[in-house]
Amino acid sequence: MVNKRLNSSVPTDREVVLGILNNSEDMLNKLYKAYFAMVLQFILNNNGNEDDAKDVYQEAIIILYNKIKAGDFELSSKLKTYIYSVSRRIWLKKLTQQAKKAGNIMDYEDVFAVEHDVEEHEEKDMQFVKMQDALDNLGEPCKTIIQDFYIHNLSMQDICEKFGYTNTDNAKTQKYKCLQRLKKIFFSHN
Amino acid sequence: MRNDLELDAIIEDYLLGKLNAQETEAFEQLRRHDAIVDHKVVSHKVFLESMTQHASQLRLKEQLNHIHAEINVEELASALKPHPSRIVKMWYRYRAAVAVAASFLLLSSISIYSIQHSSQQGERFVQLGKKVANIEKSQSNLIRNINSTKNTTAKKDNPGNFGGTGFAISSNGYILTNLHVINKADSIYIQNSKGESFKVKTVYSDPQYDIAILKINDANFTALATLPYSIKKTTSSIGENVYTLGYPKDDAVLGEGYVSSKNGFIGDTTQYQLSIPVNPGNSGGPLLDNNGNLVGVISGKDQADGAAFAIKSKYILEAMQAIPQDSLGKRLSSTKKSVLSGMKRTKQIEKLQDYVFMVKVYHD
Repeated sequence: MVNKRLNSSVPTDREVVLGILNNSEDMLNKLYKAYFAMVLQFILNNNGNEDDAKDVYQEAIIILYNKIKAGDFELSSKLKTYIYSVSRRIWLKKLTQQAKKAGNIMDYEDVFAVEHDVEEHEEKDMQFVKMQDALDNLGEPCKTIIQDFYIHNLSMQDICEKFGYTNTDNAKTQKYKCLQRLKKIFFSHN
Repeated sequence: MRNDLELDAIIEDYLLGKLNAQETEAFEQLRRHDAIVDHKVVSHKVFLESMTQHASQLRLKEQLNHIHAEINVEELASALKPHPSRIVKMWYRYRAAVAVAASFLLLSSISIYSIQHSSQQGERFVQLGKKVANIEKSQSNLIRNINSTKNTTAKKDNPGNFGGTGFAISSNGYILTNLHVINKADSIYIQNSKGESFKVKTVYSDPQYDIAILKINDANFTALATLPYSIKKTTSSIGENVYTLGYPKDDAVLGEGYVSSKNGFIGDTTQYQLSIPVNPGNSGGPLLDNNGNLVGVISGKDQADGAAFAIKSKYILEAMQAIPQDSLGKRLSSTKKSVLSGMKRTKQIEKLQDYVFMVKVYHD
């Protein structure tokens, strides 16, 4: 409480929730910078390094982000505690997976139960990894065409010019061929 | 093959809402009559959703990486790395700075809120004072004066002896109570259910939420067993059954009731309003729900309508954060399930009474 007031750059929980709901990049930036040190400290003092901290923290932020977007983050739980609890949970899981001894966990904040949220995220993340794998298996130029169209929101006109197709119809045909293959790969892994 | 591609194109346009009304209807008819087409639509829909989600996660990750690049991780890491001696030193330095800043902030916040608060507290405590006078007539030896500022009975035969209740928040002797119970004390003792007294000192006080944390400072004190109750993180609902154990007299007294409003005296959001019998001396007592979760701290009473008030449990947590976490040892937890859960009330009290103390305050 005191920390928060001392450090004016830390946004209030309410500001963060509203900011994320309004897609504010600035607020995401502030949120990220506000609590990174807390998680870094936890990971460094519990068998991890800076890269682990980055991975774990980003996962926690993504979980929080999705939860807020889905409209089921209750402001009654403190953001700081939530982020800490989620990061802690993810890191302890990773430690067990790596068969590293967790030993005595050094805690710096309060913790509450977030198992459900973390597990839910892991399921979603599997979908993410599956799509990523499918894209990686697709090969070029298909991968780039698909990414440009679906992820970077380029128009068919842009793609046509970028890849030097003679007309948009050709580009479209190519895109649908790629799409067919991608879907085949994506669904075959189901 | 060619046909297939065209069909895919139409399906995608259909799903993205790019077809005009006529085309949509024609397509929907086709879909109704051709199971294969319908199946393709469904699977493409699933695929598109996965893709959209993938795209948004990817964009978010890119954004986060971008932000991460702006942080000087090395500098942070070298400051936060485990380095026993330096960490400890930094911690203490930091704590001192926080303490100074905290007291300054608290002081300034008091002065800001002093107008509203003084009127509220005045009303509340004056009424409690009246109550004290009433009891005094009938049971003069049972008086516990929780009103230390507007006290009318201070110059009695047992001068400056004030009483309240407190409860353990760690097994190594940290006790939480109301600040108004111990305010302006010259010395404070606590007494357990067996009648043993221990000297305590104040280690933290928060005038804004009326919370104080005491530490038993006595060679005769042996550590308690693991705390049977845990702390409740969420807000309690109206109608939830609650009970408190306190020392309005020399023996522990059980009070049972329910949460009657989510806000306290004149809409104070830091407190609950309760329908529960409490008397002077109950101040600082733990308020628990049926499962043994700590819901709040009994803090006062509105004499006019008999409503009692309790500070919400989240402020207990906040107060506990002000104590160095490693010195708390086996502390009050918010994650563990309470041992009291599922027990009969009599059993609960039996367990609980070792952790609830009478707070005795001496003034000159």
